[in-house]
Amino acid sequence: MNTTAEHPVAPEEIMAFFDGELSAADAQSVAAHLDGCSACASLAAQFRGLSQSLARWSVAPVSQRLENAVNDFAAKASAKSKSSRPSAPFRFSIWSWKLWAFGGTGVVAGALLLLGIEVSNSNRPDRVAKQRPMAMMVSQNRGEETAGYAPPESLKSRMNNSLSAPSRMATRAPGGGGAPMNAGVGGIAGIVGNSSDSPAAPMIARTASLSITVKDLTTARVSLDAMLARHHGYSAQLSVESAANAPRILTASLRIPASDLFNAISDLKTLGRVEKESQSGEDVSQQHADLAERLKTARATEERFRGILQQRTGNISDVLEVEESIARVRGEIESMEAEQTTLEHRVDFATIDLQLSEEYKEEIASTSAAFSLRFHNAFVAGYRNAAGTVVGIFLFLVEYGLSILIWLAIILFPAIFILRRYRKARSKM
Amino acid sequence: MDGTIRRPGTAKPAGEGSDEELMVAFSRGSQDAFGELFLRYKQPLFGFFRRRVSDVAQAEELTQESFIAVIRAASRYQPRALFRTYLYAIGLKILGAHRRKAAFRACFTGASDAHREPAALGNLETEYVLRQAVGKLDRLERDILLLREFEQLSYAEIGELLHLPVNTVRSRLFRARLALHNILAAPAPTSSAEQARIEERA
Repeated sequence: MNTTAEHPVAPEEIMAFFDGELSAADAQSVAAHLDGCSACASLAAQFRGLSQSLARWSVAPVSQRLENAVNDFAAKASAKSKSSRPSAPFRFSIWSWKLWAFGGTGVVAGALLLLGIEVSNSNRPDRVAKQRPMAMMVSQNRGEETAGYAPPESLKSRMNNSLSAPSRMATRAPGGGGAPMNAGVGGIAGIVGNSSDSPAAPMIARTASLSITVKDLTTARVSLDAMLARHHGYSAQLSVESAANAPRILTASLRIPASDLFNAISDLKTLGRVEKESQSGEDVSQQHADLAERLKTARATEERFRGILQQRTGNISDVLEVEESIARVRGEIESMEAEQTTLEHRVDFATIDLQLSEEYKEEIASTSAAFSLRFHNAFVAGYRNAAGTVVGIFLFLVEYGLSILIWLAIILFPAIFILRRYRKARSKM
Repeated sequence: MDGTIRRPGTAKPAGEGSDEELMVAFSRGSQDAFGELFLRYKQPLFGFFRRRVSDVAQAEELTQESFIAVIRAASRYQPRALFRTYLYAIGLKILGAHRRKAAFRACFTGASDAHREPAALGNLETEYVLRQAVGKLDRLERDILLLREFEQLSYAEIGELLHLPVNTVRSRLFRARLALHNILAAPAPTSSAEQARIEERA
């Protein structure tokens, strides 16, 4: 092997010279050196001989089958490309502006779409405020429409006409209570007949749920109070949640006269953007009728006991027993009367579950806590987390470590075996 | 003193009908351009695969696959490099995929091209000896040597194909040549069975 100490030309340079990879100047100097150095000339001859040996490694000609297959594929591809586009140069020229045209159009269309959605959302509270009552009624199912909402004038006349018929006549609850059973029929509720055997209008206990996002909760609260006063309703429950770095949320359960339910909902919608709305009605007619019948029977029983007590012909124990029965029946009557009153109140006053959320703007709040205190807290929390992680890993290993080892033993050795065979096979290729 | 041995497949000079011009013409729909390119490179590319894969049918299949890949990618062709570099890059990718699949199969079947590598497939003892000798080289050095000796690629082209610096290509090529020279100079340790098969084929 030649060394650079003995020869000014490195062996790799001789090889590069042999391969024609040297610059003209370098090639000239190497050629001059080879002329005078037999060792380097021998190395060059060695390279030349090796190449000549390798050149004898000839390969058989390509088969006709391969030529036919490739040419057929090329012909098909060429025909397809010609049919799909006029010409390649035009395609190339079209590509640049077409790409930009389609891309630009897509971007503009996307921007317009987003803008439209945004404008639509921003106008939504105004639209809601301008909605007419009929629009809401259309969205309700038919049974609920007649039960809970004030119908438009066109429908009112029809309903009044129909209610004047004996078969549709609303009545007071038979046997007591005194409250109108059709109080839930907004706007047209009233006593239009006293016949006890006439079928009553349905008694619907209505509930609604609204979730509204408002800009300013304080202003909304004032508007809410005014709305309650205007509609002669009241707030059964109200709470305001005002957590740090979070929007303020007002949750309330409002009781509104059923006849004013729709107007109240419309007023509430003006407070902000309605996020969620749902309404439902529960028909309590049957429940009320059962209650009235039971009450009627209990009163009759009480009257009979009182008649027995007035006539008292038995001994003292019989008298005491009758008095106990009277007291028991009286208790039942009062309980049923209370239940009836509650039921009628549910019908008279609809419930609105309201949630007002304030639009939250994140602010860069200056924390009052000192940095050292926050650092201390963070350090303690970090220590707890780290300790928890270590303990968790330890417990995990204790719980599953043995299983993992078994699975590793099952999987690892075949995997290593396959990997070795794969490497061995690749090294031989 | 230029020892370069000219073989088919060396790049045509740019200008009249260079490989790159033909490929651009083919990408614009010229069927004749591809015909000329195929004529120039069918044998070199087949030789590229044939010297690396023992099975003739597989070599033909890989050659066909490479040309089909060229045809399919013609519309995206940009003459940024020599066409032959582009073609052999495709060939190397397809060869790599073939080797991976074969090695994966060998994991389970135990058979590989190397095991089925017989001189019997060639009809010359020289081919057998050279194939065996080249097969003993380090894989990277073997690839560099074959690309230089048979595909006549420059050091820079080899470096581009194998993602190696030119100096690394030169040093690894030098080592490969020395190693091959030593292997060929040593007496061939062919077994009697192999020798019998060679003689039988011959």
